[in-house]
Order: sequence, then C-alpha cells, then structure tokens
Amino acid sequence: MRGAVIVVGSIGAVFFLAMGLTVGLWEALVLLIGVAFISSMLWYPPHVMRIVGAALLAVFLFAFLQTIAGTVPGAVIAIVLAVLAWRFLPVRVHRRVGFMVPSMVMLIFVTTILMYMAPGSPFAQEKQTTQQALEAQAKKFKVEKTALAFFGTYMKGLLADGTMGLSVKVQGRTVEQLLMPALPVSMSLGLLALVIACFLGLVLGIRAGLKPNSFADYSSMGVAMIGISLPNFVIGAILLVIFSYSFQLLPVAGWGTYGHLILPAITLALPYAAYIARLARNGTIEVMQQDFVRTARAKGLSEQTVIVKHALKGAILPVVSFLGPATAGIFTGSFVVEKLFAVPGMGQWFVTGALGRDYSVVLGTAIIYFTIITLFNLLVDFAYAWLDPRVREEL
Amino acid sequence: MYRNLLGIGAVFAIALILVGITFSASQEEPADFRFINGSEPKSLDPHVVTGQLEGRIVDSLFEGLTFRDPKTLKPVPGCAESWDISADGKTYTFHIREEARWTDGVPITAHTFAWSWQRLQEPSKGHEYAYILHVIKGAEAYNLYEGHVERLVGPLEKGDTIVQALAKLRRENPGGVDRATWSGFMRDQKINDVVKGTRDPVIQRALLGADGRLDAGFLEQLGSSLEREAERRRALHTQAQEHFGVDEGVYAKDDRTLVVELNAATPYFLELTSFYSAHPVPRHLIERLAAERKASGENEGKEDWFLPDNIVTNGPFRLSAWRVNEKIRLERSETYWNKESIRLRIIDAFPYDNTNTALNVYLTGGADWTPTYPTSIVGALKKRPDFRKNPGMVVYYYRFNCTKPPFNDARVRRAVAMAIDRQLIIDNITKLGQPPAYRLTPPGLGDYEPPPAAWGYDPEGARKLLADAGFPGGKGIGSLTLLYNTNESHKAIAEEVASQLKKQLGFQVKALNQEWQIYQASTLALEYDIARAGWIGDYLDPNTFLDMWITNGGNNQTGWSHALYDRLIAYAADVDTFLPDAEKVVPELKEHDKARALVAAVSSADGAAARVDAAARLRLHILREAEAIFCDELPVVPLYFYVVSSMVQPYVKGFYQHPQDIHPLRGLWIDKEAR
Repeated sequence: MRGAVIVVGSIGAVFFLAMGLTVGLWEALVLLIGVAFISSMLWYPPHVMRIVGAALLAVFLFAFLQTIAGTVPGAVIAIVLAVLAWRFLPVRVHRRVGFMVPSMVMLIFVTTILMYMAPGSPFAQEKQTTQQALEAQAKKFKVEKTALAFFGTYMKGLLADGTMGLSVKVQGRTVEQLLMPALPVSMSLGLLALVIACFLGLVLGIRAGLKPNSFADYSSMGVAMIGISLPNFVIGAILLVIFSYSFQLLPVAGWGTYGHLILPAITLALPYAAYIARLARNGTIEVMQQDFVRTARAKGLSEQTVIVKHALKGAILPVVSFLGPATAGIFTGSFVVEKLFAVPGMGQWFVTGALGRDYSVVLGTAIIYFTIITLFNLLVDFAYAWLDPRVREEL
Repeated sequence: MYRNLLGIGAVFAIALILVGITFSASQEEPADFRFINGSEPKSLDPHVVTGQLEGRIVDSLFEGLTFRDPKTLKPVPGCAESWDISADGKTYTFHIREEARWTDGVPITAHTFAWSWQRLQEPSKGHEYAYILHVIKGAEAYNLYEGHVERLVGPLEKGDTIVQALAKLRRENPGGVDRATWSGFMRDQKINDVVKGTRDPVIQRALLGADGRLDAGFLEQLGSSLEREAERRRALHTQAQEHFGVDEGVYAKDDRTLVVELNAATPYFLELTSFYSAHPVPRHLIERLAAERKASGENEGKEDWFLPDNIVTNGPFRLSAWRVNEKIRLERSETYWNKESIRLRIIDAFPYDNTNTALNVYLTGGADWTPTYPTSIVGALKKRPDFRKNPGMVVYYYRFNCTKPPFNDARVRRAVAMAIDRQLIIDNITKLGQPPAYRLTPPGLGDYEPPPAAWGYDPEGARKLLADAGFPGGKGIGSLTLLYNTNESHKAIAEEVASQLKKQLGFQVKALNQEWQIYQASTLALEYDIARAGWIGDYLDPNTFLDMWITNGGNNQTGWSHALYDRLIAYAADVDTFLPDAEKVVPELKEHDKARALVAAVSSADGAAARVDAAARLRLHILREAEAIFCDELPVVPLYFYVVSSMVQPYVKGFYQHPQDIHPLRGLWIDKEAR
C-alpha cells in the first residue's frame, strides 16, 4: 500500500512539474486540484456523496434553467430539483453526477489551455490590422490574453449568465444560438442513419453469424469490410454519381426537403452498419453455442423462435455497448458528410471552430459532445441492465 | 418479431418527423438567382466585414453615397444625387437624395453619413477597415491616436511604454546601438505603427535606421522627440473627438448636404465612397438595440442589429433570411429609390465552402453561378462554354526571410527568382494561362506603367549570381524549408519550385505545409526561410501592392528594409511633401530625367486642375521608382498573376468580367427564354 502511494505520488509529482513547466504553474495547480477533487469522491461515504451530488446537480441545472426560465425561477427550480434528488435518488446516480459536473469543468479548462497553446488567434487575418483594433475586438468578444483569464470569464458567463459566449467568426449570435439549431439537424439525420445502420448491420451480421464460414458469411462480411475501409467521402461521391448524376433521382446537396436526407443518411450509416454487422456476427456465433440455446432447441422450438426469442437478445449485447459512443458520435454530426452534402448540422462546427480558433465555439462543441456522450453511456448501462439479468444485479 | 419491426418502424417515423421540423425552407418560393458564396459571412455590418464574399451581400443590402456601375465598376450616384469637388481636390460636397430611405421608412440624411463614418472610426469598435477612410481629415486621429499615445507614453496596464523601453535600451547600451539591434528593437516595439506619418525629423531618421549606428545622444534626443510626438497626437485626438463628424472631416451642413474634407487631393476618393466600409448604417436602430442590451445587461459584443429580425437596409435588396450554413436570402427592396432598375426579385446565396459541393450543385442546376470549383479539374472545366476567366488583380509570390542567411543577401534572392521556370508551373499546375510575374504589380492598374523588367528566367545567370554570393553550386546553403498553408495547389507549386531549385541551383529545399493559423503565426514571427503568399489589390492602383513593404510594415513579414523605398512610399501618399525634397531625392532615382521633368510639370502647372493632374502623374512615377527598387532587391519572388474565373450559366445576363472580380448582384438579370 505504502509502495503504491509512493509510486502514484511520484508519477503525479513528475506530471505536475512537467505541466508547470510547459503550460504554467497556476494552470497545473488548477488541474491538480480538479483531478484530486474528482478522485476524492471515490472515498466519500454515501451521505456525503448525496449532498455533494445534489449540490453539483443544482449548479448544473441552474446554469441550464436560467436561460429558459430566468434567473430567480431558474434558481428556485434548480434548488427544488436538487433537494428532491438528494432525498430520493440512489447514491450511484449521485456518484455519476458527482463525476460528470466537475469533469465538464475540467474538460473546459483543459480545452482552454490547449486552445491557447495552439498558435494563432480568432482575430488573425491575412491583412494585418492595427494593435488597437485587435485589442478592441478582444475586449468586445471577451477573448482574454491568457488561458486562465479566459477560463474565468467563460465559467462566469456560463454560470452567471447561462451563455456559452460569442462566436467571432459568425457574429451577432451566441454560441448556443449557433449550435442549438444545428443540433436537431444532426440528431435527426443521425437517428435516421442509426436506424438504417442497425437494420442493415443486424440483418447482415446475424445472417452471417448463423452460418459461419458459409457463402452468406463471407459475402456479408465482405460488404462490411468495404463499408469500414472506404472513407465516407468516397462512399458519398459514389452515391452522388449513381443517384444524382446518372439517374438524377436525388439532389446533390442542400437542406429543406426529404430528398435531401437520403444520400447523407446512407453515407453516414454505411460505416456504422459495417461495424454493427461484425459485432452482431460475433455475438451470434457465441450465443448460438450457449447451453440455453441448445436447451431451447431441445425443447423442440422452431429455429426462428430460437433465434428471435432466445438468441437475439444475447447476440445484440456487444452491439448495444457499441451504440452508446456511436450514437453520441453520429448525433453530433460528421464534418465530411455535412460539408459534402451541405447539411447545416453540428459536425462542421467541431472543425471550423478549431481551425478558426473560435474559442467559444470550440468549448461549446466540447460541452455538447461531452453531455451527449455521458448521457448515452448512461443509457447504455440501463439498456444492458434491461437486456442482461446478470448486469442488473451489479448496477 | 412483428412487435420489433413495429418498433423499428416507429423510430424511423419519429426520425423523419424530427427532420421535417428542421425544414424551415420547405414553404419558400424558388429564387430567381442562386449562387455559391463560398463561406459564411462573419457579419453583415458594413463596418465589420472585410471580405469579398461579405461584400457581395453587403453591397446588395446597403448603398453608399455612390455605387459601382455593374458594367464599368466606376462610381455612379447612389444616396448622393450629385456632388461638387473643390478646385484643390480636397473638399467634396455631396447632395443627398431626397428619396433615400431605410426599409422602415426613416429618411437617410447627411447626418446619417456623418454619424456612420464616425462610427467606422470609433476606436473602441476595432473596425479593421477604418483605415479605408483615413484620407479624411481627422479620421486617423480620431481612430488611432489615443492608442498611439498609450503605447508611446502610457498609461499601460502592464509592460513598458515605448519611451520607457527606449530609456532602458539606452541604459543597457551606453555606447549606442548598431543598426541590427535597432531594427530588432523597432520590430519588437512596433514603433512604425504608432508614429506613422510623423513629421519629426529625428523620428524619421530613426525609422530609417539612422544610416548605421545610433549613438546615445541620438537615442536621448529620440526619447524626447517621441514624447513630443505623443503630445502632438494627444492634442490632435482631443480635437478630433470634439470636431470629427461634427464640423470637421465629415459633417452635415444641413439635412441634405454632406461635406467631406480630405488631407490631400485623393484621385480615388469617389471610388472609396462606393466601398462597403463607407456605407451608411441605421443609427436609429443601432442605438435603440444598444440601449436595450445595456438595460438587460448583455455583452456589447453581441451586436445583432444586422440579423434578419432586426435589420433595416437602404440598398436594392433587403435581407429576408439568414440561416447559418444553409443560405442567405435577399429580396428586392420595395422602398429602394431606384427599384425599377433591379430585375432580380429573389436571390439565394449558399455558403458552401467545399469546392466539390459547389461544383456538384452548379452542374446539377442548383446554382446559377459558382466562383469556386475544385482547381484540380480546371483543365477539363476550362473547355466548357460557361467557364469565364479574365486577368485578376492578385499576385502569387514567395516571401524570403531577409533577416538571416542565405536570403539576407539580395543576390541569393535574385538567383532564386531567376532560376524558377514560371511557365512550367503555369502550364502544368495552374493551367489557366496566368501571366508569369517578374515584378509585383499586375497589369492593368489604370495609368500606371511598371518599371522595365530587370531580370527574367535565366538559370545560367542565377548560378553565377549564387556563386558571386559565396555559394557556388548551392554549397554552404544547407537545407531550407519552403512553407505553405495547407492547400492542394500550393502544395503542387511548392514541390515543383523545390525540385527546380535543387536542379538549377543545387541546394535542398523542403516543402513544408502548416495549417492556416500556424502558418500565419510562423510568417509573422519570421520563422521560415521561404513562405508562400498572395496579395489581392484593394483598389486599382499600384500603391495597394507597394505600400505594404515599408520597414516593419504589418504585411511585410520578410524583415526587408530599404530607406529610399520607405521614403518614396511616404512621398507617394502626399506628393506635396516630395516637391521640397525633390532636389535631394531625384538624383538617387533610376529614371531621374523623367522624374525631374515631372517635378517641373507640377511646379509650372497652370491652374489647380492642371496641377492636380500633374501631381497624379508624378505620384505614379514615384511608385514606379519604388517598384524598380523592389524588383532589384526582391524581398519576395513573384511567381504569377492570378486569372480570376467562375462558372456562370449562359442565361445569367449583366455579368461582366473585371480584374477586381466584383460582380454586383444589382446588375444581374435572367434571360427566361434562354433558361
């Protein structure tokens, strides 16, 4: 035990020193405190954890609610909900919240440091402008000189005003005003793609897994391999040539009609379908060798019933765990697909924000991605519990 | 099983409905004219925007005193129905049109313009293109001098003022400093920016490097000169704050008479009045929204008067929708004074920046004009009848880092310039018949005659020059890097140039790409050997290509410095300052006979108009001499002049080709039968 503490302690010290030397002492210190706070929660007794979890939940809810309901009602609702959470929610949910809220703050902090370490600035222009103009703009858009100062201003804006700051590259709108219309576009397109991917992937995968090393297996997996190997701008281009240029059935790009959906949804779906097919195949092969399947067959059930009623649930377990992060990824959009098909979604903000050093946009995308991925991981855990009785006990 | 299928079907249906909700465009009627604008505008505030793609929209929404005639691009009466110019060319009196209105019916008066131009110069706004109107008396003082004073003598929040830093430099070097140290000091402190246009002889001498060593006495003298300069600027700023926009520079004599006073006769001033930075902005709306923001405690940076819900405009079109990353929709304005001349009713501008998407949309009939397309297939596209091209006002060049070997030697720079086979690059990579560049200014800049070519493609001569400089066969140069920003065609050119240099001059050059922001930071910090760049002329005048190369100029980024060049650029800005110095400067010029004749023509000119005319000719000659110095010294190696091109459907009429690559939307119309 003492050895472990010394080893971990010295690694931490070296890391801290390295951080201090590269990004600055204060930055390293804030990071250290953040990590210490998050890790210390592991040792909190349940009643303390409930209080900390509820308090963090209140802060999170307030930042979110005040933009919808206003400052005072927002605060009241947040406190009421937090009290309810403290009283009724199980401690494992508090542990999740206790992990999520400080992690998001640390995410914002680390992202800010990394952004400031990258050369360039949101106001950089090919034609050089005067120092005064740059300073006036920085003041107007609250882009501070150091990462630490920016982090402070940003967190203040987030908590006190419930705003994610201003974009420098598309002015006149806050980051939430830019991202919120884009999110449903990406989510609905992603949902569509996900349904296509699940349908295609499961059909192909289960078909392959039921008869391993048959023609059905090789053909399905061959298709899946192509889906994984081809980058989606190639798939998209092939689809465009076939459906838009040769048959002139579908529009090449844009947004506004159901016709605009089909090609981007398929392009987005194919690589996911391929992964799902491979996972489903492995899952199926494994499940079909289990004792309970043999029992079901021995009972005299038809093959179809055996597969649908008994094997399917087990076969899609690996798919479900893949779906968590996959959904988060697909819901936040794809830069390539959105650019190719001119879809006004979330994906392009990840790239244009970073390339333009549009600091608030970068943080906004990071926050949304983080929220969605944590949320879906949580959902996956619940889905697991529902699908697999063994997991239910552990949760 | 059926339950499961039903479930999947239900999710699918929900997804489709969800998507449908985000379709706000489905009810819209189709546009008359659709084009690919290439990116999302940063803003639609005429004072904030700085780019061509924003200019296309802003010029359609707002109208200045004049607007560009779509065919000739010459300024014609807009908000001003007429104007008078004083004999000395320094005072313009504009008569504002009575019918000029915002879309909400509020009239546009001379006061609107005075306030708008004052807003453009507002120091706290940080408008990048404020300098466009610095030709107006008091504008620069109003815009910049307060900041200059702060940098010179304080008060600063942290760090040293220039005067303090200079005192420190003097203490550390009691024996004075050499020229290199001084150049470094000037670069670090950005002295040029804050004393630009000074008349103080001591500061002027210091800026030009003081012809060698700067002794302690001179540095002390310089310190007090800088303090005096700060005082002068403080006084000018205070005066401008009181008077600029009120009764000096630009002001309203009455509701319909706007007076503009210039620092010097400026032949291109009317052209400036049609430029988007000089457009009027709706004061009544901006001030109302600012008051509301203040009341609700919102950030000043969230200035949003130009969003569709708020905006009022005065141009031929009004903003009907702006959906980010989807499109901007313009509709013909019913309140525009000259609406009969506008033939398009609805215009859609798509912000697609993916060139493949742009071309796909164009080729399948989704757009009528695309200025962008994948350059890799230009060879196939240029054969199409709807492909239009013409020479542009852009030069493509490579910067040299003139602060370190080997490119601190002009002979090495010239050797590189002579060793590159430009025609090969044009034939195999750029493929549009671009004119090869052996100088900086592109052809077709009004009356300007560029200096005769001092050199050409000559690998043999290049090798000889390199040997003279002490690098025979490229030995001793080592390995250099050629920096370019990530882009397919920059990459192809960089690799071609690198291989040509290896072949012709024998030294190794490695083409290195950096992402745009990093590339910019590198060139600014002079962390490169050779770096790619391009320059788009702002106006049809050689000055827009030449004035950036003054010592430590913000866009110089080569470390190159030449005293006479700096002086010539300063003289060109105000020819009247050249005449007293002519005796001294003319003998230093290459074509001194011609210069002398032009100076004589100015002094003997009969009448004010003839004098203005002669001075304009002398000015162009001064710029020609400056370019001759540039072509001898070559801080950059010019490669080629751009050919601007786009794909336009044949049924689009009123689309004219110009070197400036400006195509006002107001002049376009659709030949419905041809469509």
